[in-house]
Amino acid sequence: MMLHYFLRRTFLIAFVFVALTVLAFSLSYLFPGEVLNNVSGLTSIDPEQQQALIQYYALDQSVIMQYLGYVHRILAGEWGLSFSSQQPVLAEIIAVFPATLELASYALILSFVLGIPLGLFAAVKADSFFGKLISGITLVAYSIPIFWWALLLIMLFSLTLGLLPTAGRINVLFDIPTTTGFMLPDIWLSDIPYKSEATQDALRHLLLPAIVLATYPTTVMIRFTRDSMLAVLEQSYIKTARAKGLSRAQVLYHHGLRNALLPVIRQIGLQFSTLITLAMITEVIFSWPGIGQWLLDSIYQRNYPAIQGGLLVVSCLVIVVNMLTEILHTLFNPLARKA
Amino acid sequence: MKKFRLYFEEHNRGPLTQLWQQFQRQHVAVFGLVIFVFFLLLTIFAPLLSPHSPYLQNSDLLLLPPSWSEQGLVQYPFGTDDLGRDLMSRLMKGATYTFGIALITVIGSLLMGLALGAMAGMSKGLKSSIFNHVLDLALTIPSLLLAIIIVAVLGPGLWNTTWAIMLALLPQFVHGIRNAIQDTLKQDYVAAYRLDGASNWQVLRYAVLPNIWEHITVMATMALSTAILDVAALGFLGLGAQAPTSEWGVMIADALDLIYLAPWAIALPGLLVFAAVLSVNLVGDGLRTAMTKRREN
Repeated sequence: MMLHYFLRRTFLIAFVFVALTVLAFSLSYLFPGEVLNNVSGLTSIDPEQQQALIQYYALDQSVIMQYLGYVHRILAGEWGLSFSSQQPVLAEIIAVFPATLELASYALILSFVLGIPLGLFAAVKADSFFGKLISGITLVAYSIPIFWWALLLIMLFSLTLGLLPTAGRINVLFDIPTTTGFMLPDIWLSDIPYKSEATQDALRHLLLPAIVLATYPTTVMIRFTRDSMLAVLEQSYIKTARAKGLSRAQVLYHHGLRNALLPVIRQIGLQFSTLITLAMITEVIFSWPGIGQWLLDSIYQRNYPAIQGGLLVVSCLVIVVNMLTEILHTLFNPLARKA
Repeated sequence: MKKFRLYFEEHNRGPLTQLWQQFQRQHVAVFGLVIFVFFLLLTIFAPLLSPHSPYLQNSDLLLLPPSWSEQGLVQYPFGTDDLGRDLMSRLMKGATYTFGIALITVIGSLLMGLALGAMAGMSKGLKSSIFNHVLDLALTIPSLLLAIIIVAVLGPGLWNTTWAIMLALLPQFVHGIRNAIQDTLKQDYVAAYRLDGASNWQVLRYAVLPNIWEHITVMATMALSTAILDVAALGFLGLGAQAPTSEWGVMIADALDLIYLAPWAIALPGLLVFAAVLSVNLVGDGLRTAMTKRREN
């Protein structure tokens, strides 16, 4: 049963990856400019070089051969050069990607820590003042445009009160050697004398972007936890458990929470691509050196090889997260395995 | 006049009336509906209502503060921007762009989703499985990334990014409509209708669609709030509407240099986006609650 399920999943993932590479491959043709420039990432090509490059990228052969060559190059880590810097695209992505992952994961953790308890509270005390207050605030936070919210917070905390910095991951005065690309682990792994000051500064830089980015997932989490908990509490097995003499807390924990959190797990996967979109906008506003800012710079500079590489990496991340949440959901919920 | 009821008889009202009765019991939702209608009217009649031209530059009145401050003028209720254009007229015209374009994208996406969802819902086996796989791919590309790719291929502009938003909204429509159709197909009345000799098209038209339109409306309101946020965000990032256009997101991006001098020029357009999205969400939530209650009764 489980094996069959995993086989189906693997087939689906393989299909999605093939379709994704076909899309990325076709972009070299769809983007304006010469195909050879888009494929190689070279901005100026000598006439002598041209023939050798056409041979190398198999542009004189059929589209299928070109596609196979493209997949081969992607797997070998040869993603072409960036138009603007003439550096390998893959190296640039590796340099900026951890910053996005760091920001997104802190925001996700924040949304778990805040969203699930608040959602449960709003469901259990649905008719009380606080329950209604939580639902009201959620609706407001759900409707707020993220870039405006970020600007409001900057206007309040940075420009008016002067409490928090507006841009970057850390003050440029701190020289942190890059090992993992994640700022906080990097600080702890390094052997600099000013570790605690650097940590404090990094946290101060992190606070506003993390809050801004966490707003949307937290509200989604509250709404979903609340709705699914309310649905579960209506079920007859809850009444049975109460009738058996279990206390309210026991019922909530053993019968309520476990069933209510199942759809929430699934929702994380479905909302992840929205989270990435929001992370990209947050990065632009806070000059956070992540993949979102890098991609938007690429579109302003018409840097096509970079966009192609960014598409692959970001989509792969979303696919992997989707897959993980699907598998988690299935592991926790035997009923989902039938499908 | 109240009807004189001699005998006990049951009054059955139409589903639409029942839905409205449940809806109007929720005051917050009705409040949302009022704001929603206000934005809708503004979208259509903004050119007639605005006191000045949104593009007319008045070099004598640069960065005029709103009329509630000491230096403001009552002819310019929200003041002017750095080129001397009336902010209120620009904000009103902005409703046509942000709200109107979002409406068009949702309608377009809904129609496409209805066609694809009906095809996916009425088909079985391999065909429907392929549909799902393609949809899964579409779900994995974040909407902003989709917009970046489309802008890279077609160039920036409001209408080009409209396609990106439509494509980004499409998967949830198709998924939702497909699931709703398949749930309805399991009902006994559909089986009875089939036994009467109804064709696939007749089943869809007369048995399925009348039963899922409420679902579709709720889905459309949810999509509309996403669409408004996306239009504004893309305008803000410079990918969607371009500079002289008074789209709300673009206006925020324009006013960014003046964040110290004229904070109201950032606050007001954002407030309108927020109000528009909030009204749509209020209506959507109200409709959903009304729908569930109507089904229960």
